[in-house]
Amino acid sequence: MQLEERYTLKKSNPAIKVLVYILLVIWAFINLFPIYFMFTFSLKSNEEIFGKNIIGLPKEWLWSNYVSAMKTGNMGLYFFNSVLVTVFSIAISIMAAMMATYALTRIKWKAAGFTNAFFMLGLTIPLQASIVPVYVVLSKLHWLNHYSTLIIPYSAFTLSMSILICTGFMVDIPYDLDEAARIDGCGLWGTFFRIIAPLLKPALSTIGIYAFLQCWNEFMFANVFISDSKHRTLPVGIKALSGQHTTDWGPIGAALVIATFPTLLVYIFLSRKIQDSFIAGAVKG
Amino acid sequence: MAENKTIQTKKSHKDFRKGLDIFLFLLPAILLFVGILIAPIIVSVYRSFQDWNGFSEGTFIGFENYKELFTNGSIKWMVALKNALILAFFSVFVQLPISLLLALLLGRKYKGERFFLSVYFMPVLISTVVIGQLWLKIYNPDYGLLNTALDALHLSDFKHVWVGEVETALGSVIVPTVWQYIGYHMLLMYAGVKGVSPDLREAAMIDGATNWQVDRYVVIPIIKPVIRTSVIFAVTGSLKTYDLVRILTEGGPFQTTEVPSTLLENMLFLRNRYGMGSTISVMLILLCFAFSLAISAAFKEKD
Amino acid sequence: MKMKRVVSTVLAGMMAFSLAACGGAPAAQAPAAEAPAAEAPAEEKKEEAPAEENKEEAPAEEAAASDEPITLSMWCIATESDSNRHSYEAAIADMQELYPNVTLEWEAFENQSYKTKIKAAVSADEMPDIFFTWSCAFLGDFVDAGKVYCLDDVYQNYKDELPVVMLGNSTYEGKHYGVPLTMNIVGLFANMEILKEAGYDEIPGTYEDFIKCCDDLKAKGIIPFGCAGKETWCVTEYLESVIEKSIGAEELNDVFVNGATWKNQGIADAVDTFQELVTNGYFDPAGIGLTNDEVKANFMAGKYAFYMNGTWNCADFAADENFKDKVKVSEFPVINADKAKLGQLIGGPSDTLAVAASSPNAERAADYAMELGKYICHYGYLDGCGLPAWTPYGDTSAVNELTQTVADIVANADSMVLFGDTAQNADDANTYLSYVDQVYGCQIDGKGFIEGLANDIR
Repeated sequence: MQLEERYTLKKSNPAIKVLVYILLVIWAFINLFPIYFMFTFSLKSNEEIFGKNIIGLPKEWLWSNYVSAMKTGNMGLYFFNSVLVTVFSIAISIMAAMMATYALTRIKWKAAGFTNAFFMLGLTIPLQASIVPVYVVLSKLHWLNHYSTLIIPYSAFTLSMSILICTGFMVDIPYDLDEAARIDGCGLWGTFFRIIAPLLKPALSTIGIYAFLQCWNEFMFANVFISDSKHRTLPVGIKALSGQHTTDWGPIGAALVIATFPTLLVYIFLSRKIQDSFIAGAVKG
Repeated sequence: MAENKTIQTKKSHKDFRKGLDIFLFLLPAILLFVGILIAPIIVSVYRSFQDWNGFSEGTFIGFENYKELFTNGSIKWMVALKNALILAFFSVFVQLPISLLLALLLGRKYKGERFFLSVYFMPVLISTVVIGQLWLKIYNPDYGLLNTALDALHLSDFKHVWVGEVETALGSVIVPTVWQYIGYHMLLMYAGVKGVSPDLREAAMIDGATNWQVDRYVVIPIIKPVIRTSVIFAVTGSLKTYDLVRILTEGGPFQTTEVPSTLLENMLFLRNRYGMGSTISVMLILLCFAFSLAISAAFKEKD
Repeated sequence: MKMKRVVSTVLAGMMAFSLAACGGAPAAQAPAAEAPAAEAPAEEKKEEAPAEENKEEAPAEEAAASDEPITLSMWCIATESDSNRHSYEAAIADMQELYPNVTLEWEAFENQSYKTKIKAAVSADEMPDIFFTWSCAFLGDFVDAGKVYCLDDVYQNYKDELPVVMLGNSTYEGKHYGVPLTMNIVGLFANMEILKEAGYDEIPGTYEDFIKCCDDLKAKGIIPFGCAGKETWCVTEYLESVIEKSIGAEELNDVFVNGATWKNQGIADAVDTFQELVTNGYFDPAGIGLTNDEVKANFMAGKYAFYMNGTWNCADFAADENFKDKVKVSEFPVINADKAKLGQLIGGPSDTLAVAASSPNAERAADYAMELGKYICHYGYLDGCGLPAWTPYGDTSAVNELTQTVADIVANADSMVLFGDTAQNADDANTYLSYVDQVYGCQIDGKGFIEGLANDIR
């Protein structure tokens, strides 16, 4: 503790520190502006959005935009669907990734490196390319219009990223632990479930966030694979608020707020956890 | 090490047992991966040798699509590729340094570190639709913030139809794209920075190193694997960039801001040239993979 | 009172003028357009024809045997905020009473993403029983692949209510595959309040006066035209009108639909004429960076004198209390009177319903789609979303004035050429759009335009 304080004291050159603070705060404002913009946008009419009042506070606070987003736009249901699909996708992706990473990094076998590289191929694949082939397969299996229609492809597309992050965390866990477990009579499975998986908790929030980013706003698959509005997710629902030749942008803004604000709150909650887990990890490492 | 030896001396059925375990551990991932990602790519490779509109019978035409992609100027493949590479350049040499700087600063235990960290990541969480609309308001030629500001500063000569003119359109797409994902890389790097043991910092500080020196000679070398990952993400992400281009310029004016993904979508779903679309996606995958390998190799060489 | 006249003239007019026909049928006067419908099947029997007949027979028996309750699915693009939404809802409500045994499950998707969706569905044979489509090339690709149910049999019951010329855009090899809904043309909208500032009470009727009017507007510091350069289809609304009024409807249609060469000096000259409008500064220079939503908002806010766009805008303009009294609609003036004349328009029935060949209840779906199309058309017309492709019925006096004017224009129409990006097949249409984009940006001239297109269109 003592050392720690000395080290903070030593680095501080007040002038530079203040300057850095000012820059950090300005940058924070730049990054907060979109949220303000989105919020005011959601309360305006087309007239204000296009030309009259683009970034000011709304002259007329149109809360009715929210009513129409919720009622005619059905955002409540879509929000629920999105949460469900995203949560399950992330869960499956994390589970599959942890198991795969365990086999790739903590069991010694010849093709481990190659298999790992094979999984990393997934980072390079553009989503658009696989829509039609996947769709044809899903349709042959009569597997369209379910939640799982989206959950499975989403977890597949987030898998590579999850394995990558897991690998980073898993190689940091000392190998002595495996051995101790072995001596205690744990098999590979026992070691994985009892020792390794619990230690990967810090990785969960990181993977969670990055996987979330890929699932929550995904549009292409959701648009093509889901045809009944019961299972529709937010991005498709929001897009469906615009018409062929006429678009009322206010309710779209409201729908975007509905889609984004809860995630921002969850994120703020999660980001604390991430930092905590990092600090915890740093002490041990 | 010891584990290795013991396993080697065990009997063959133990080896089989281990193989089975490895297989079972990998099974869920392999099923997902091969079923959803690899199989469609194989289909794409097959289709890339065909002239196929997506619903009728396709005809096999060998490498004609690949040839046409590079020789037919009206497809704009070279333009798209060039744009993606320019974007990748800006990502690596503008976006990542800013991310790294922020990660290092925040790693120094500034007051409000958590607040800044959360705020800087927020643009990543916000839908691209919102980001796109916001930047359209900034770029709008009549009442946009940028032109209004230029007027106010008596710099009216510098006013442009930002997303509509050939000279400025690409830049207008690059700025928001680079900006939006600064937080994304910052979080990755911050994780690395925080992973550096405080003892190492201490030791360096006691030896009289300044903060910058510590960052340069202690922290950055340690988080190099994270930086490598970020570079790979930045480059492959740039090659696959799509959303903001669609919203801000639609690939225009005169298709000068097309990127591979917009071309891909045009071919698949607007022009009904599924074969050519598959060709583009195969090229895109190859490019991404080649760049990932090259970047990994470059980082290894430096070690 | 005035309305009755309009209705009857609409009818009379529609019978007389010709519509561009897809699938190789020549664009000729009305009688000729009807001819291929009768002759083509005899000439050429396609491979899938026998198979299709078998398919048709099997469900027919079932349907006749029992009127048992079925569920039909439908996809369309009438989303909540689309101007057509109300007409779909009203029509479907009526249909429920008419067909109590049919339960319709319908879903609406956003326009742009629907194109991706329906194409993927056709690829995977996952289409709903009834689906919305655009006529001509878009539907044509699906018909070529044998995925669409032929409506010839069902049409027999609706002959009297749906003029056969209206089927031109969804007729391939002489067979009908689509139920047209409303139709739209390109209209020249004018903000009369602004025109008045330049001393004009009416939209000038001749090209010379029109250009003079533009000059006068410019002198007053008013921008004559607003056009969204970011959405190239908006540029075609101007360019195609200029070309048509220079070379005439027939020549343009031959190029769009019948494969005539783009190497046509008349088109090159017309493109140069259009470019003159651009270089003379008649267009808002900021337009190249704007979307149609933004340009339309500008027009309604009084920034431009003219706005050329589809007549689907009528409903919106008429719904705006402040704006509806200022706006008038007219037809683009004739540029070359030797070849073109008034009454040659750009547009036609494009919004269409089609029935999937894979539907297990295809025949009943076809019948249902026909009836539904009629109602959607009826309510769409009442709402001002477009002109009716079906013979209007009932009291239509509530239709807004703008739409009535358009109905008058159509009633006096001589011939119509469908929007270039709908008329040409998907690949060609996009090549065409990219050249139009270059013309608007003055990257190429008329010569470059025709030569480039002649080269690049396969």
